[in-house]
Order: sequence, then C-alpha cells, then structure tokens
Amino acid sequence: MTAILAILRESWLSLRAEKLFKVVMGLNILVIVGFASIGFDKTGVTIFFGLSHIESEFVFAGSPLARTLYMGIYSAFIVNIWLAWAASILALVSTSSIFPSFLSQGAVELVLSRPTRRSTIFLVKYCGGLLFVMLQVSVFTVGAFFAAGWRVGEWDPAIFLAIPLITLFYSYLFCINALAGILTRSTLVALLVTLLFWFSTFGIRTADDILTRFTLMFEARVERLEKQVGNLQLEVKTAEADGDDVATKDAEHWLIEPEDDLALAKQGVAQLAPWKTVIGGVRAITPETARTIGLLHRALERDSDTTLQQLLSGDAFRDDDESPRDLNDEQIADQELAKREENISPWLIIGKSLIFEVVILGIAMMIFRRRDY
Amino acid sequence: MTVDPGQIFCLLGPNGAGKSTLVKILMTVIHPSQLSGTMLGQPVGHKPTLRQVGYLPEHHRFPPFMTAEQALHFYGALSGMRRPARLRRIAETLELVGMADWRKHKVGTFSKGMQQRVGLAQALLHDPKLLLLDEPTDGVDPVGRREIRDLLHHLRSEGRTILVNSHILAELESICDQLAVVVKGKVALEGTFEDLTASRRRWELSWRGAEITWPDYDVQIDGEIRRVTLPGASPEDTQPLIDRIRNEGGVIMSVTEIRESLEDLFMRALELAGDAHGHAPGAVQGKKS
Repeated sequence: MTAILAILRESWLSLRAEKLFKVVMGLNILVIVGFASIGFDKTGVTIFFGLSHIESEFVFAGSPLARTLYMGIYSAFIVNIWLAWAASILALVSTSSIFPSFLSQGAVELVLSRPTRRSTIFLVKYCGGLLFVMLQVSVFTVGAFFAAGWRVGEWDPAIFLAIPLITLFYSYLFCINALAGILTRSTLVALLVTLLFWFSTFGIRTADDILTRFTLMFEARVERLEKQVGNLQLEVKTAEADGDDVATKDAEHWLIEPEDDLALAKQGVAQLAPWKTVIGGVRAITPETARTIGLLHRALERDSDTTLQQLLSGDAFRDDDESPRDLNDEQIADQELAKREENISPWLIIGKSLIFEVVILGIAMMIFRRRDY
Repeated sequence: MTVDPGQIFCLLGPNGAGKSTLVKILMTVIHPSQLSGTMLGQPVGHKPTLRQVGYLPEHHRFPPFMTAEQALHFYGALSGMRRPARLRRIAETLELVGMADWRKHKVGTFSKGMQQRVGLAQALLHDPKLLLLDEPTDGVDPVGRREIRDLLHHLRSEGRTILVNSHILAELESICDQLAVVVKGKVALEGTFEDLTASRRRWELSWRGAEITWPDYDVQIDGEIRRVTLPGASPEDTQPLIDRIRNEGGVIMSVTEIRESLEDLFMRALELAGDAHGHAPGAVQGKKS
C-alpha cells in the first residue's frame, strides 16, 4: 500500500509540474464560467451574465424547456465537444510522456529494483495517468453542478456521472497510449498512435452508423413499397376479376415503378449487408467511446419530457393534438436508429469497452513485465 | 564469483563485459537467460530480498520535478519504508552525503555530482545490508570522490557489503578488498588484491658506495647509485642483500616495494582472456557495460 500511494503521489507531482495541466485546468474554469454565464429571465435567455439577450416564448426562467436547454448544452456541447474532444486531446498530449519517460534509461532502474512487483507498478502508474483527466473533470463537474443549480435550479447529482464516464472514455485511449509508450518508448509515437486509434474508432463508428442508417432506410422503403405493391396487385386482381381491361392495364402500369423501386431497395439491403457485417464486426471489438459519453446524455435526459434534439429540431414546440407528420424513409431510419441507440444496455457499452481495455492492458503489462531495461 | 559479507568488492571489466548487466540481473531489472546464484541467502530474483539491497544505477535519473526529499520519500516508499522511518532516514542519509541543505531543492536543478550524492542517499535510505553501486563517482569532483571513498569505508566499517562497478581503476585500488575482472561475460580473475598481485610483487633496492654485483640479478648503475630488483612478495627475501651491501660499506638509499597496479592487473586479466584490446562484442555494438 505504501508503494501504491507513493506511485500515485509521484503521478500527482508529475502532473502538477506539467504546464499543460495548469493550462487545461484554467481553460476548464473558463468554459464553466462561460456555461454559468448563460441564464434565463422572464422573457428568454441571457448570455454572458446578461450582456446579451435572446427573447423566447418557450424558453424562459422556470420553463421546463429552460432546464432541457441548459442541461442539453452541458451534455451535448460542453461535455461532448470540450471534455470529450478538446480537453481529451490536451490530456493525451500531456500524459503521452508518462510511460516513455518512466521507461527512460536511468529512471526505470530506480523503480524496478524495488521489492514492488512490476505488475503493481504498471497498473498504479496507469491509474496515475488517468488522474489527469479525473481531476480535470472533477473540478469541471463541480462547477457545472453549481452552475446548473444556480441557473435552472437543477441540483442533479447525475452531472457527476461525467467524472467516471469521461475517465472511462479516456481510459480506452490511454490503454493504447500506454501500450504504444511501452513498445516504442517514444512520447511522439505514443501520442500519434493513440490519435490514430481514436480517429479510427471514430471512422468505424461513423461508417457503421451510416451503413445502419442506410440499411434501415432501405428496409423502411422495402416495407413501404411492399405494402404499395401489394395494394396495387390487389387492384390488378380486382380489375382482372371485373374483366375491366382498361382498369387492369392502368393498374399494371402503376405497378411497374413501385416494383422496380422495391427491387432496387431490396438490392440496396443485400448490397449493404456484407459491409455492415464487416464494419459491425470491427466495431464490436473496439471500445465505444461515443456511446460511453452518450450515457451521460441518457442520465441527464432521463426525467425530461423533451430532449435537446427535439428542442433544436422544433418538435418540442408542436402541440400535442397536432397530427404526427408523415415520416419519410430517412426520418423513419433516424427514429429507429435513435431508438436502437437508446436501447443498448449501458453494461454492454461499458462491458465490451472494458474487455478491450483489459486485453490491451494485459498485453502492455506482459511486455512491461518481461522486458529487460 | 563470491562476495564475502562486510567487504568492498570491485567489479572490473572493459565496456560490454557484462558488469552492469550482472548488477541489473541481481536487481531484477534484467531477466537472466541463464543464471544460478544467491543473494543474501535467497535465489537471485527474489523480490522481497531487495528490501535489504541498495542500488545506485549508472546514469540514474530522478524525476526532475521532485525535490531531493520528495525523491527519497518516493524511493523509500517503493522499498516498503513507512513514513516515520523515511523521515528519520532521509535526514540521516542526506546529512551523510552532504546534501542536507539541499533537501527542499528540485533534483532537476542539481549538478551531476549532487545528483550522484542524492543517488547514494536513496541507495542507503532503507538501511541495506548490501549495496550495489554502478559508477558511484561518475561526474563527481575530486573532493566529492574522496568523500565517497571515505563514505564507502565508513559503510564497510558498519558491516555492510558493497559491490562497486567502476571504470576508474585508480579509485578502486584504494578501496577494494576483493575484486573480479569480467571479460566477455566471464570472470577472468577473482580474489583479494593482495593475493592476485602477490606473484608479481618485487622489491627494489638502491644504494651508494659498495660496488657489488650478483650473477643472478641485473644491477643497474646510474652515476653513484646502483639499483637491483628482487622478485618475491616477502620483505625477508631482501635482508641478505641489505646485509651484504652494508658489510661492504654501502649506504642503503631506498628499499621500495613494487606492486602491480590495478591497471596492470586489469590488463593482465584481459590478456589472460585473450582480449587485450578490451573490445567485447557488446562494446562493438554500442552497449554499455
């Protein structure tokens, strides 16, 4: 235990000595002050502590949509863009040197020549690297918690879920960083490999989402066209039964285009299927970076009748008795996709990502343990 | 190779001979491909034994953002020391290496010599029975070197066993009780300095006045002064000659014991191993010994 605490303390001292740590902390505070500067009055939204004002008949102080907008800004913009992208890149730049400098000649001997096991040293050092993000996000979420309480009276402890979720998200990348750092002992290579991996997961996820969306779109089209074709075939049969040649020919004429479209839609589903299998298979073994962050949205929107997406798309302002719009294939696919996303179990998202992390860490630890320095 | 307790054992060898590799193996930094041996009664590689071993690596690097005190806390804790013990020993060891006034300063600001002293302090921190020092005087000024030599004698007097790995033979000569010369990963010579140099020891007599010649010895004449060199380690061997010089009216000017230096011994070991140029494969490949 003494050794574990010592390694964690060394990590803390190392982070404290990093200029970037202080810079990111400063930027975090700046972002949270910006977040806190958004407020609501009786007539709409105020920005920069009242310097700017946007009038709104729906979003004003005390309205449920104010809460949706404010928490939506936090989860969709501040967490998604700042914490999950900008701050994470800065964190990677800062922590990429942890393993290479630890393994540099003259430094590693001083640590490995102790009675502490190599595996313990590796794991605690790894956790020490995650401290960077954990501390940054902790400070950030405390600020966000008070800002939300002050601005929309939302004292929601779910905001603090950002700490484990962002740390978890970062750990998926940091395990690759650790592996590359141990393999190459180069800070630059470790950073580049991690960024490459991150962008690859982004690419795979985007490709899979696009393929799924198109597949769902084609499936919706097939379903719609099958109904249409069925109805038209019924019309043809009825006309034939009536012995009305003109009506039969007319119905047959109207059947041609939907049948062609149906064949094309079925062909589309069939063409996408192998790609979907491959990309889906690759995605299945890569960590779910975006979905892990997405769990925060779920938590923050759990009791809300309206989502930020509905607010921004205008759906939130439709009257309940207004008849639902006819959805086209794209919209049906989007809805289905969103529903599927919502139904994915958090345990599955975190579990499979953690399995990936454990495997990568296992490889990194095995190399670290067996290597001569 | 055996290192007796309470001795200063010097490990010599050319670059790439395997000296540092051996020390790293003992400290579990390197996994041996083939090894049999014990350290402090336990098989080499037994991690808990390392609590009783202090190690100063060659070209060691402390985290530059730490103060001397923080660095020692860190390494002491890794060796399993509790905080009260660390507090006490940090003060003692920094005092011992002459760095007590620098305890609150960042290691990154230290000169090479100062870092070496802090390195010695971390090796001594957990009160080890055995010390493995790889180039302990590397980068240290002459005064510092002398202080380190004195420190090693002091540590030996406390009963600690010390294994020193160094290139600077002149320094080792004055401190080592036992030594081994390693060439290409094998021990070429091993023993006490006395034993290893005994066969090469001789005495040189110089006198003035008596014109004596001996058929067995080559007498050199330098003006009024005559010199003769007598092989043998014992001073008793010189007494008959001294008596004869005096009996014949000669004046003894000097009786000097000529010993083989550590450098001579080192070169002899290389010759024995067939590596007089000191180029081991590792050195050719750029590896450090």
